[in-house]
Amino acid sequence: MESGIKSKPRRNVIFIVLISLVLAFVIYYSVMCLLSPGRKLEDLRNAYSTKSSEKNDADKQISRNPDYLKLLKEKAFLQSRIAMAGTDSSYLALNMTDSTANIEICGVVVHKSKMVDLKISKILTETNENAILSLLSAPFTISGSYATIMKEPVIFQMAPKDTSEYKPDVMPDTTLAEPVNYILETKQGIRIYVYQQEQMKPKDRMNQFKFDLNDRLRDTWNSLKRVVEFKVPEYHLFIKIKLPRADAKIIYRALPKNGQIALFN
Amino acid sequence: MDNEKIIDEGTQSQTEENAGSKLAVNNANIPPQTVTPGEYDQKRKPFLRFLRFILLFVVSILFLSGMILYIIYGVPAIRESTPRQHKESVISKDLKKDQNYTKLIGPLSKDVQRLTVKFDAYTSGQSYIVINTTDNKFYLYKNKQLVREGSCSTGSYKKLQTASGKTWTFKTPRGKFLIQGKRTHPAWHRPDWSFIEEGVPIPPKDSPLRWEAGVLGDYAMDLGDSYMIHGTIYKRFLGMPVTHGCVRLNDEDLEVVFNTLNVGSKVYIF
Repeated sequence: MESGIKSKPRRNVIFIVLISLVLAFVIYYSVMCLLSPGRKLEDLRNAYSTKSSEKNDADKQISRNPDYLKLLKEKAFLQSRIAMAGTDSSYLALNMTDSTANIEICGVVVHKSKMVDLKISKILTETNENAILSLLSAPFTISGSYATIMKEPVIFQMAPKDTSEYKPDVMPDTTLAEPVNYILETKQGIRIYVYQQEQMKPKDRMNQFKFDLNDRLRDTWNSLKRVVEFKVPEYHLFIKIKLPRADAKIIYRALPKNGQIALFN
Repeated sequence: MDNEKIIDEGTQSQTEENAGSKLAVNNANIPPQTVTPGEYDQKRKPFLRFLRFILLFVVSILFLSGMILYIIYGVPAIRESTPRQHKESVISKDLKKDQNYTKLIGPLSKDVQRLTVKFDAYTSGQSYIVINTTDNKFYLYKNKQLVREGSCSTGSYKKLQTASGKTWTFKTPRGKFLIQGKRTHPAWHRPDWSFIEEGVPIPPKDSPLRWEAGVLGDYAMDLGDSYMIHGTIYKRFLGMPVTHGCVRLNDEDLEVVFNTLNVGSKVYIF
């Protein structure tokens, strides 16, 4: 009887301690995650900052003047596209100011698409930051991707042994409208999220939710691993765009596996 | 005072005993199934304990779910909404009169103009064709103007494999190509895969069995590596990915494209 009375408060204490521990970890995790963008900016400054030519106040004012910055960005965007035009493969030119996502080959715009929605990492909008300008002035190279569609929809077929096994080609089913959502990861650490604009069926919405959740889980898992090791989690700069389904599919299929992307922000 | 309490408690216990005996007397008349208040409390205890356990369990689950949702959705949202120190843009009218500013801005805007001209020069004023393999569409340009567009058929992405393990993937190559040659009334020199695909024995390279007339339409334009832009007898497949890598057009489009493009004209496939 006595031990029963004693075990109740002990159970309560254990419960409170457990909740406190979970809360403490969540607070610790949150703080570490909130530190990550600052750390990223610091890393970018170390990697991309060029020697500042700001000698006096007038120089400082010029380097933060919007007209001057716009020209600098325009020059960088053109330089990137000209550099990519030297190759024979297709590349993506993302212009955030006029919301266009164009596929180009050797400097020729072969496909134009209009972004419907656009969300960009806060750090990337700080274009009066020297490091960000330098980062955006060179094309990004795709290092990997996650997608709901195949890059090359290869259909496997075994060769017939003789004419009796031969089956003539059947008309492909082009009515299949699989949802198009993908993430392009670049070597520079920028992630480009492309979502289809159309939400034709509840299935599309569900698919997009699942795709987004998978990405978040992957990201959270990586962050948790780093936080457990007392390291600040990695922060990924991102660009999230919504495109019409057909355009999103064309862009994904047109870009080579290690294709390049130019950005004008 | 304490004695009084003790006496009181003693009398209370006595009265309780009396009440108990009275109850016992009464119990004699009550059927044996009836539960006493003490027993009733004892019976309710496990139920209450179970209820408390369920409540605790639900609260714990809600708490943990809340924390997980906060970590997955809340933390990234807060991370993006926290303000950061950044350099403010400077908008000054006097700055435009500054000598240093004009010295910097002048060459910079000239650079932008020069690069714009250089970039625009990539788009040829001559005729070229753009082929979209995802949608199976073509766009014909002349003097930088779109003069014709329509459906075409491109590579099926079929991967054919023989029993010996040899494979062919029927896809249209992407990138920039040049028209390397133009032919009228072309005949098709059938490659090995076309026989393998039908389960027919492969004839020697110089066999007349390899030549087939009439299947490529009236015109063909070579892109190199045996890839061509040509006509088709399978017109119902236009707009679909069904070819072995070549680009098929219908008769009318093919004629216009053939007459517009020259040897050396650019073909952009994406």
